[in-house]
Amino acid sequence: MAAREELIKKIQALLPQDAVCRDDSYKAGVVFAAQAPLGKLREAIKLCEGCGYYLESITALDFQDTFELVYHLNCYEPTSRISLRVLFGHDQSPPTVSDIFASALWQEREVCEFFGIRFTDHPDLRPLLLPEDADFTPLRKTFGAVHAYHKREEIYG
Amino acid sequence: MAEHFPEPVVEQIYTLNLGPQHPSTHGVLRVLLDLDGEFIIKADPVIGYGHRGHEKMAENRTYKQFMPNSSRMDYLSGLLYNHGFVLAVEKLAGVQVPERAKYIRVICSELNRISSHLLWFGTYVMDLGGFTPFLYAFDDRENILDILDRVTGSRLTYSYCRFGGVTRDIDAEFIAMTRKFIARLRSRWDDYHNLVTKNVIFIHRTRGVGIIDAQLARQFGVVGPNLRACGVAFDARKSEPYEVYDRFDFEVPTGVKGDALDRYNVRLQEMEQSCRIIEQALDQLPSGPHINEMAPFKVRPPKGEVYLAFESARGLTGYYLVSDGSPYPYRCHIRVPSFGNLHVLTEVLKGTLVADAISILGSIDVVIPEIDR
Amino acid sequence: METQRVEPVIKFALLEDVLNLARANSLWPMTFGLACCAIEMMAAGAARFDLDRFGAGVFRPSPRQSDLMIVAGTISKKMAPAIKMLWDQMPNPKWCIAMGNCAISGGPFEYEGQYAIVPGAHLIVPVDIMVPGCPPRPEGLIQGILALEDKITGGEDRNYLRRFRRMGGKR
Repeated sequence: MAAREELIKKIQALLPQDAVCRDDSYKAGVVFAAQAPLGKLREAIKLCEGCGYYLESITALDFQDTFELVYHLNCYEPTSRISLRVLFGHDQSPPTVSDIFASALWQEREVCEFFGIRFTDHPDLRPLLLPEDADFTPLRKTFGAVHAYHKREEIYG
Repeated sequence: MAEHFPEPVVEQIYTLNLGPQHPSTHGVLRVLLDLDGEFIIKADPVIGYGHRGHEKMAENRTYKQFMPNSSRMDYLSGLLYNHGFVLAVEKLAGVQVPERAKYIRVICSELNRISSHLLWFGTYVMDLGGFTPFLYAFDDRENILDILDRVTGSRLTYSYCRFGGVTRDIDAEFIAMTRKFIARLRSRWDDYHNLVTKNVIFIHRTRGVGIIDAQLARQFGVVGPNLRACGVAFDARKSEPYEVYDRFDFEVPTGVKGDALDRYNVRLQEMEQSCRIIEQALDQLPSGPHINEMAPFKVRPPKGEVYLAFESARGLTGYYLVSDGSPYPYRCHIRVPSFGNLHVLTEVLKGTLVADAISILGSIDVVIPEIDR
Repeated sequence: METQRVEPVIKFALLEDVLNLARANSLWPMTFGLACCAIEMMAAGAARFDLDRFGAGVFRPSPRQSDLMIVAGTISKKMAPAIKMLWDQMPNPKWCIAMGNCAISGGPFEYEGQYAIVPGAHLIVPVDIMVPGCPPRPEGLIQGILALEDKITGGEDRNYLRRFRRMGGKR
């Protein structure tokens, strides 16, 4: 499909060769998964916006050694979903993409209140789902009852 | 007709608190409205009053134990969410599903979709002040609930699907009841159109109200009938066919302008398309087992992740599951369609009247507990 | 949390029975659906399981005009102060039905490590009748309302108009 191929070419031009992993069988629900460094995240998201994609979801994963943010983007053509992944430490702050995609305003608020990840330059990072005065981050594996707290390579190899 | 004003005459801004307890039945939604007279300058939805911690619960429950949770997120399309969850786990764990089970799941999901749209129809017109269609819609909906009650055991929050099929098989009585119901529903379209669609008050309250254009929809991640009303024919059943949807012949209805009347028309036409799918599924229904007996009792998907998108009554919903090889998910994130659908209101409600805001809130069909998870 | 029920200051005798009959047969619920049980409450008010034949079909949106609060759904910690405020705004005499497992005890969401819900409406407001189920069928809610009517009128001993036989009832 046109938009998907265009975007794949542009992302492959932006990121190093082994960072893009294409899977046409759509086994994991994405056509390709791209590992982006923190500094190139905004540029990659801007490329997606330019190709007619929309931001579907921002998910955070809490590992023992790193945080991982997974951005799922999709467009209106068949089987076009892609995922962009960034890794950063527990005390780092990723940049916001809410000026590129307005839906990130609420998505990033939710990630911030559940994981404690503060996005730089976000206009309004107050809690979305938790009460206003909540001082805990529920989805961290250090909070409450958990079954496992892994390092990233234990799952993704 | 909707009224807009070009420049706010800001002498005295009045902040009105709409909710969290109010006569509309979307759930516990609170919208802080900054008003200038009757016009809205700024709308800020406050959500979280139904937050129950589903995603944290998912990390403490096995995959099978999470099934009741999946139904209770969006309780109006409980079977659809059930279906999506088992599809995600089956894809991750590689569990095979017999053909008959796939058809049964599709039939029950489409019945659930019709019942959700019927409830929306009744409550939307009730929000606008018309109390009669609510009773008609609920009467039709009770017929669907009778059919589903016979086979699943519950009326609203189901746990019917299993990894590898469904719990109980459908019998000839179910098929006969479903065919009779579809014939009856089709005879009701005239009633609904005469009662509501041709009603001049309804048209005045919905035409031109709450226009979402396609660019705004893409910015906010709007999906479902709201997006289709803007003219974009995007349906997860067609773009990422799952189960046996690629064997059916059905259309994806779209609108033109993206106002409330278009959203209403799209949903009514979707009900008719669902009837078509059910008929074709009943005609093609194969015989065979209703569950894969070899599916493991405690499913342990291999390490990895899956993102499964399916079309719920409100739009494209995504289950993102990360598995670490144990019976418990490592992370379960659900991308709900009402998230973007509600978020777009921060832009759409600007400049409208408060009465039109009620109409817009009703027409986008949000279920707040699914946003709050 | 101690929740006190306010007793009326002036007590009548036979007039009290008549007043209780009137109150029981015209309970006006407040629209307070929080989650899934709200849909079954709406279905109970719709055409098939008609609540209006018991006098309880007029759902008032304003707490000042209602005398029955049906807490239908899970109570999250963010919503709890609002429930207390709504209960305080209702004028006496008022009653409360906790509908569904979530309002009774937290329901399927109560587990060790739950941070987001209040496990039961009785921790916030004084509950008269608890209707179990997840969600309870509309007939269950109707049984709950009839049980509340019995509680208000004093049961079949004092209720001269009791026309129906209850499970285990005498007449």
